[in-house]
Amino acid sequence: MTLSPVVALLLLGVGAPLIPGITTRTKAVFAGRRGAPVWQLYADLWKLWRRGLVYSTTTTWVFRLAPVILAATTLVAAALLPLDGSTAILAFAGDAVAFVYLLALGRFVLVLASLDTGSSFEGMGASREVAFASIAEVGLFVTIAGLAIASHSLSLTLMLGGGAPQATGRVPASAVLFAVSVFGLALAECSRVPVDDPATHLELTMVHEVMVLDNSGPDLALILYSSALKLGLFAAIILAILFPGARGSAWLSLGVLLSGFVVMGVAVGVVESMIARLRLPRVALYLAGASALALFGLILELQ
Amino acid sequence: MTLLLAGLALIFAGGLSAVIARRSAAAAMVAFQAFVVAGCALGIVAAANVLVSGTPVAMTIPASIPGGAWYFGVDALSAVFLIVILGVGAACAVFGTHDLARESRSPAIAQLAFTALVVSIAFVVTAGSVVGFLGAWEIMAISSYVLIVTHHEAADVRRAGLIYLVATHTATLALFAMFAAWAGDAPDWSFAALAAAAPGLDPRVVTAILLLALVGFGFKAGCVPFHFWLAPAHAAAPSHVSALMSGIVIKTGIYGLLRVLLLLGGAPAWWGWTVFFVGIASGILGVLWALAQHDYKRLLAYHSVENIGIILMGIGIGSLGVSHHAPVVAIVGFAGGLLHTVNHALFKSLLFLGAGSVYRATGTRNMEALGGLARRIPLTWLGFVVGAAAIIGVPPFNGFVSEWIVYQGMFAGADSGPALRMALVGLPALALIGALALACFAKVSGVIFLGTARSARGEDAREGPGAYVPILSLAAACVALGLAPAAGLALVRTAAGQLAGTPTDEMPAAVLAGATTLSLVGGVTILLVGVLWAARALASRRRAARPEVTWACGYLAVSPRMQYTASSFAAPLIATFGALSGVRTERAPAALHTRAADLVLDGAALPVWHFLHRFAVRLHAAQHGRLHVYLLYVMAALLAMLAYLALGVRP
Repeated sequence: MTLSPVVALLLLGVGAPLIPGITTRTKAVFAGRRGAPVWQLYADLWKLWRRGLVYSTTTTWVFRLAPVILAATTLVAAALLPLDGSTAILAFAGDAVAFVYLLALGRFVLVLASLDTGSSFEGMGASREVAFASIAEVGLFVTIAGLAIASHSLSLTLMLGGGAPQATGRVPASAVLFAVSVFGLALAECSRVPVDDPATHLELTMVHEVMVLDNSGPDLALILYSSALKLGLFAAIILAILFPGARGSAWLSLGVLLSGFVVMGVAVGVVESMIARLRLPRVALYLAGASALALFGLILELQ
Repeated sequence: MTLLLAGLALIFAGGLSAVIARRSAAAAMVAFQAFVVAGCALGIVAAANVLVSGTPVAMTIPASIPGGAWYFGVDALSAVFLIVILGVGAACAVFGTHDLARESRSPAIAQLAFTALVVSIAFVVTAGSVVGFLGAWEIMAISSYVLIVTHHEAADVRRAGLIYLVATHTATLALFAMFAAWAGDAPDWSFAALAAAAPGLDPRVVTAILLLALVGFGFKAGCVPFHFWLAPAHAAAPSHVSALMSGIVIKTGIYGLLRVLLLLGGAPAWWGWTVFFVGIASGILGVLWALAQHDYKRLLAYHSVENIGIILMGIGIGSLGVSHHAPVVAIVGFAGGLLHTVNHALFKSLLFLGAGSVYRATGTRNMEALGGLARRIPLTWLGFVVGAAAIIGVPPFNGFVSEWIVYQGMFAGADSGPALRMALVGLPALALIGALALACFAKVSGVIFLGTARSARGEDAREGPGAYVPILSLAAACVALGLAPAAGLALVRTAAGQLAGTPTDEMPAAVLAGATTLSLVGGVTILLVGVLWAARALASRRRAARPEVTWACGYLAVSPRMQYTASSFAAPLIATFGALSGVRTERAPAALHTRAADLVLDGAALPVWHFLHRFAVRLHAAQHGRLHVYLLYVMAALLAMLAYLALGVRP
């Protein structure tokens, strides 16, 4: 018996905020501190959710709608992923395209909301966000092309689920390349080091954080939650690229997904502890490098 | 057919009524709008009838004028184009009358030219013979020239008109050559005779026909490198004309390519690959050049180059599917290209009408002088942001649906065997196009409509008259086709099957099922947005939201000029792509100017033009007005022809 996709989606929805907590804890361990508990983000979200809202007088309905659309599109995108290892809640031909474009809709409204405030800092963040995402999306689609050719399908359920050709137990070299590439791009998509530093205190050096300077209360909670969710999505994708297919029993699938979150959190924390963020002009090069890895994987697939 | 002709007659009557009633502006406007909208509605009913019944209609006008009888007919391909032409035409007509009445010195002429344009485009897509096609094509070119130079007082408008005129006639010349090469051995000049002659054509002639079609129709469609007339013409024309040109007129180039493919019964693989890679180049370069613009109408014009690229990617894949006997690839590719044609017509005309509304309110096309218009013209903003979401191709808007089908066409091609593997290149390419379009529309929407005003322009901006109905109905169409992709597929399915040379059942069930599931995805997203909105309202019901000034990191003397500008917003991407983006930087002490050059216009088209001009000036020596020397020329020419015949050069 396998875990139902609905339960897997619930696990993602509930468990995703653990990932940033694990990352922070990992960084603390590297720095020789005790650090905040791993469930810190849950406490933050709960606190923010009960706080009042502050809206800049410059803003319009776009600013109020954006956090809601961001969270909704991220959740619907999650429903397109085979989170339990075998199948997604909504699976159809070409859902891989819908997945990427749903995340793009979330990004578009968040960028519009940041421009809605009329703040120069937020405009700067928005400009960087769209620039980096443009290149990252190309790399993501190279991986999608490779997985699609391998599985003869443009549906995530067949590319990453039980029907995937790499579900035979042996991990092909191309899958490793795709996984590393997606991890590299996920760091950019989720605004982590080396592209963005969520812990920075200088607005001029921020990307994602500076876009949400004016969001407060429940709106900020929705945005933080969506970021955590996005990390969870990428963790599930990398997990499925390396180990697709059902995991034997429902409890096992649950455990595998959870451990995927933990590994993702630790991996991001290790990266953030070991390297510094890149200078902004170098980011394009970094993203191109990550895309090139996927390209090598694609070439292997075409052999 | 009678219904369609009656509709077209009504549309033209609208133009005539504007001329007849020109003494009374109000009467002319009402008559014009009523006639045009009624005529468009009749024509749409006629075209829809063809699609629903599945039987093409045709009529013949017996005539002995060159080329023999005139044929007109509506098949599935014509019907798809007719529906879009008349629908968008009606919206543009309603929007434009108010501007023309206020700004133009001779609104009646412009109205007449507008109706002539709409009617001639309808004839272009229904013509069944060479003479009828080229005649309608030329009327279309001339009437759009008249409309582009509506504000001919300005020098840059006249220049844009001239560039357009040269480009469109170069295209027409290529089409003359194409039909001449083709019809040489055909019994008459009807399309049916051309189709019958196609299998017997020399392969070299077919190569020539396909290349000339690519040049002739490529100029009209505005794909790279024939796009250079587009940006100046779209910027110079009144907005509702830009909307019609970008939404409809350039699509006649796509129609022409598809009609030629249909008559030839397919094209060799090299042509499919050429179209596909021209599509990729147009898509990426178009959006990159759009990013560099400060003039929002030029920006939208470059996005037409981009979207024509996406359409050509679909058509290229469809053509490759035909030449490699992969019917599924062919039908999905053509369906994607056709549906994107329909969708682009809807969202691009919506965006241009929105741009027209901004221009009405502010009187400037420079977006760096704008800002904060969302508060002043909220309806235009709503329409514009729907159009922006549609053009960047995010669900649940119509642009996503056609891009999604093009993706599937490219993947189906790559998956069908090693011969079409290269189609995989299209996946990351289309992703790049989409992501850059997102950046560009975040820029233009944000800088024009959001934040605070950067100058005094638009401080008393109001929504102009006649804007509500066209903008809202086009926006509704974009949302409806995005939420019900099955409807869009039903619209183009027959025509795609016709082009693929297969029954429509070849449309893969997976694509059809996916289209239905996409409705569910859109519905769930909207539902979830509603639920989260309600949850947030519940969470903050005790405390009203507190108004504050925007956080400026503690700085208090904030001015609107500190906002990010369009140039700074695009700077990281422009820097990434370097010289390819066409941005030229000029530095002066304490000043820095950037200028977005058109690489093809400034780099190739104008140098060629100047060379031809210098050459022509030298020929002046032979043209001096002395009659007896002219008679000598005539004699010499006659003698040369006689010698040619006498020497028996002709086989």
